Amino acid sequence: MKKTIITFFILIMLITLLFADEKIITLKDAPSFTLYDVSGKVVILDSLIKKGPVIMSFWALWCKMCIKELDALKPYYAEIESLGVTFLAISQDKAKSKDEVKSFSAGHKWQYQIVLDPENKLRKSYNVQVMPTLFIINQDKKIVFTHQGYKPGDEKKIVQKIHELTKKCEGCKDCEHKK
Amino acid sequence: MKVAKIVNIRNKVYWGLGLVLFIISPLIFAQSIELSGGNTVGYWLFVDSLKEHIEDKLKLSFTYNNITLRGLFFFWQPSLPNQKRLQYIDYNIEYANEPINIIYGTYYTTFGRGLVLNQFLDEDFKTDNSIYGAKATFKMFNNELSALFGKPRNIFFEENAYKIKNDTTDQIRGINLETKLPLPDIIGLNIGGRYVRYNRRTDFNARAFTELFGGNIEFTFGAYQGYFEYARHLGCRPGVGGRLTGTGLLFSSNLTFSGLGLAFQIMSYDTIGFGGLGYRYNEPPTPIKSGISVNRGMNEFGFGTSINYSATDFLNFEGNYNSLKTHAKTEGILEQIFKAKLNAVENLEITGLIERTVKDKIELPVLKKTEMKPSVEATYNFEEFFLDGSYEHNFISADTSKYYEHAFSVSIGKSELFQFTLRYERRNRIPNWLTSKLGTEKSWPMAELSLDITNKHNLRVRVGGEKGGLVCSGGVCRFEEPFKGVKLVLTSIF
Repeated sequence: MKKTIITFFILIMLITLLFADEKIITLKDAPSFTLYDVSGKVVILDSLIKKGPVIMSFWALWCKMCIKELDALKPYYAEIESLGVTFLAISQDKAKSKDEVKSFSAGHKWQYQIVLDPENKLRKSYNVQVMPTLFIINQDKKIVFTHQGYKPGDEKKIVQKIHELTKKCEGCKDCEHKK
Repeated sequence: MKVAKIVNIRNKVYWGLGLVLFIISPLIFAQSIELSGGNTVGYWLFVDSLKEHIEDKLKLSFTYNNITLRGLFFFWQPSLPNQKRLQYIDYNIEYANEPINIIYGTYYTTFGRGLVLNQFLDEDFKTDNSIYGAKATFKMFNNELSALFGKPRNIFFEENAYKIKNDTTDQIRGINLETKLPLPDIIGLNIGGRYVRYNRRTDFNARAFTELFGGNIEFTFGAYQGYFEYARHLGCRPGVGGRLTGTGLLFSSNLTFSGLGLAFQIMSYDTIGFGGLGYRYNEPPTPIKSGISVNRGMNEFGFGTSINYSATDFLNFEGNYNSLKTHAKTEGILEQIFKAKLNAVENLEITGLIERTVKDKIELPVLKKTEMKPSVEATYNFEEFFLDGSYEHNFISADTSKYYEHAFSVSIGKSELFQFTLRYERRNRIPNWLTSKLGTEKSWPMAELSLDITNKHNLRVRVGGEKGGLVCSGGVCRFEEPFKGVKLVLTSIF
């Protein structure tokens, strides 16, 4: 039995390593969703994509590193917004913490759109394994960048990635936000 | 025994089905199917006994137009002789095409804020309360109607082992309606109503079922938002028979401006918490930030206040004052937290925190436990690498005994590459009467390396000791056993 388990264990590691290489598998479509933000406004990915790329950062009140990441990205918000990018901070807190999520994000002066995912449906759709996890979705609705965890300085790499992505769009006729 | 056998046969069928689907699906739909997933694999080695745990959770999603098939393959193999291996496959198939959403298989759902039904998954806390059945949701204009049926299953991690707390033939049937009234933007009014019926294997007869029902109203006026929920429990007394009724009341609100957030909640629960030994089908909110509840929805009264204020862009304050007690105030918990975060100098962040908790009959055999924990943390980013240091001191008073615990840690790391942490935790003494609860260990040195292999792969290696203690989330608590050994966790997303 133990041999079977160990074989399975190695197999899974190989499969995940293989699938994670973007050169081997093509870019994935970002799953569509319709959720509400803390103010009760409807947030639809398909509508946001029409305006420009979308950043999604999964966070929760109990997740210290998620809060550090969102605090660290705060000074770059205006720059990100000027590139036509929508920044969604997807709260993984349960429905009972809705008031605290709203109060916490206002107190931290976060300008991101705070989206509620109380049943963690989006976390499952995007297969988020650790918190925080950040995705950048381009206007073709493809996940072009995934970032797990947070370490000080990561915010600069993320902003750099956003610039690279939006630069690529300069010569692209389909990118409405660059016209 | 019978249940375990059924689970075993069912698992074999699921494994077979899953494997066949996994192999044939990409071949058939290679051009249009989207495959994604994630995997978390863990290995624990207990140094003292040289025993080990292997754990793996593989998630796969196949999307074809509006249909998504999800599978979860889980196994946990302990080597301790008194622990049973656990493996299962969960799956669900979802059809999502606005305004209709139908899901069949294993799913999670909460009605309102969880007073009548709260079957949720908390992967970080390792608690899995699922329903196996179907749920249909229909959205039209500003109305959302959900109807569901299914069988609950509760899996919980405690005493270093995964345990199935409940896997019976109990049936849950429920309906939930939420509507948003069309009003100008500055005003908002949402109304909800719900009914859930629980038929249990242990009911005296088919008519001795349990009902939980209620409603809520949510109103917004400018920067203010308020929410009130009422729930009623009608059922039978387990074992002895006779009518059992209960009520749950929850009021929660917030007032927000840019840089200032205030939140307040108050709750009173009679016998609204419903379930069995160690599990609940509903999980009413607790105001306690550390997640502790007294009786999980039975005989509880509490309130919570929180304030979050950013005086400037570089200074943030957070304060919490929360309390939860039995109605007679014989048991309970009081929590006071004050936190300040300063980013006055570029690349330097300093956080100061003071936490005070008073627990009455929460951590038995201690009748009254008071903890006062000041801590400080500083992080400096040198661009090429970063340094982080922290110190915490916990003054503990357990009835007549006084002792303290303190910990310091130092981390060095490089963004998107690695973080290496050294942590040393120590307890100055162990009162004799508490050795059975706390053990005899007095120090816990630990080293941890977190390595970003790629943006989608992270490997964590932890070597050393962990103190353990009471850990809670959303009202569910467990006493984490002390650990000494090696932990390896590899997380991947694809």
